Amino acid sequence: MKKTWLAACVAMACCTTTATAEVNINGFASIKAGKASSGDTLYGYTDEIDFKNESLFALQVQSDLGEKLSVTAQIMARGRNDFDAEFEWAFLTYQLTDEWRLNAGRLRTPFYKYSDFRDVGYAYDWLRTPQSVYDLGFDTIEGVSLYHSTSLSDMQSNLQLVFGAYDGEVAVVGTEAPAQINNIVGATWELSQDWLSLRMAYLMGDVSIEASSLNPLLLALTNVGLRSVAQEIDFNEDEGSFFGVGLNYDRNDWLMVAEYTHVKVEDSFYANQDSYYLSLGRRFGAFTPYVSYEKDEDDAKPEIYAALPANFPLQPTIATIVNSQWFDNTTWNLGLRYDFHPAAAFKVQFSSAKDKLTDSKDSLMALGVDLVF
Amino acid sequence: MNWFKVITLTAALTANTAFAEVAVIVHPSNAATLDQAEITRLFTGRGATFNNGNKATPLNLSESAAARADFDSKVLGKSSSQMKAYWSKLVFTGKGTPPKELNSDAEMKAAVAADANAIGYIDAAAVDATVKVVAKF
Repeated sequence: MKKTWLAACVAMACCTTTATAEVNINGFASIKAGKASSGDTLYGYTDEIDFKNESLFALQVQSDLGEKLSVTAQIMARGRNDFDAEFEWAFLTYQLTDEWRLNAGRLRTPFYKYSDFRDVGYAYDWLRTPQSVYDLGFDTIEGVSLYHSTSLSDMQSNLQLVFGAYDGEVAVVGTEAPAQINNIVGATWELSQDWLSLRMAYLMGDVSIEASSLNPLLLALTNVGLRSVAQEIDFNEDEGSFFGVGLNYDRNDWLMVAEYTHVKVEDSFYANQDSYYLSLGRRFGAFTPYVSYEKDEDDAKPEIYAALPANFPLQPTIATIVNSQWFDNTTWNLGLRYDFHPAAAFKVQFSSAKDKLTDSKDSLMALGVDLVF
Repeated sequence: MNWFKVITLTAALTANTAFAEVAVIVHPSNAATLDQAEITRLFTGRGATFNNGNKATPLNLSESAAARADFDSKVLGKSSSQMKAYWSKLVFTGKGTPPKELNSDAEMKAAVAADANAIGYIDAAAVDATVKVVAKF
């Protein structure tokens, strides 16, 4: 299904180049280097200097087919994936009316305020989006999205409704596992005026993850008649939900951004996750220094094994899996954006993350250039 | 002697940028009235029609033109870098396309004079009867 969509979008994009349709080609790139402190690891960096981890190149082809229809495809090559090019976006846009627009194809899941353009570093001041919040995965969905934009006196209202499915991989208990989220339904609403904007998002879907490392345990539980416990652990069409709220202030060269998110998956060992960040910055001409604080707190579900008899042989195994979900992390970032060129920004950011459960700290220095063309 | 010329020229240019006014222009037949909020709406892609209901086609000057930075800062209240960041959010998410860019006041005047829906801006000193000024900043 996914391949078919992509093929259709690409075919249409190619065909139009021979017709009279207008084709816009844009791109963006990030070249970044980073190094963690001795013995530390953070965001994919180690204490060896690395130029690949967060570098990326992307090209976007957008073709206006006339009659309110256009097609957009974005191909991205990430250093993290050895610069293998992949379709990040591929969709059709149909402008239904001045206020309503429909996108269909491969889209970005609209979890966060910066989800849509998190790879376009030029569009924001940080070197990277705050990872305590922007860490869910499930970044793209195949489906349709309906947008409604309108002005309410001096304010702008943007509503997005999304329907679709995710089919990919996620990391479970340390290994990548095939994952599906079906029947994704969600809405985001952003109300903004000149210097203030407020955004809310709610999405839900049926989460299934084929975590093969868990299968022996689940089978054993079922065999001893504890199928209900197995069902509380596994991801089998379990209802997942996401709630997010974001606030943005930009006035007299002072900048403030904050976001809070809550994620849970019912009837699974997946922890209830609360995370937020607060970022403050000040623009001095071409220089924008900023400081931000992030927190990620995940509450595991000990109730899954609490009711089991103390001498039940599988109890320690279950407790280990469930308790691996506890997480309590705080991060400080200090950084600077410098607009040294009309189409490029230099950035440098120092990050220090503290794991409160293990009382360990990892810090990272990264710098680089974000550009658009 | 040459140094003297350079200094006078630099002084003249600096004075020119400091006092230059930006004139927002439309086709002479366009009867719409426009204030700063309305102009900002059109040039940020948040509106596509004039207040009389007619379709509006905003035209931008390229970054090499002197009036561009003045327009961005005086009318839109942003630096040209901020505007580029703003548009990159829309372009790379399929939500909008920035206004077409023209290279000079002369090209802008010709384009606006030829299109009843167009709205653009030029250095106020370059205005003539082929276009109508709706606001000055």
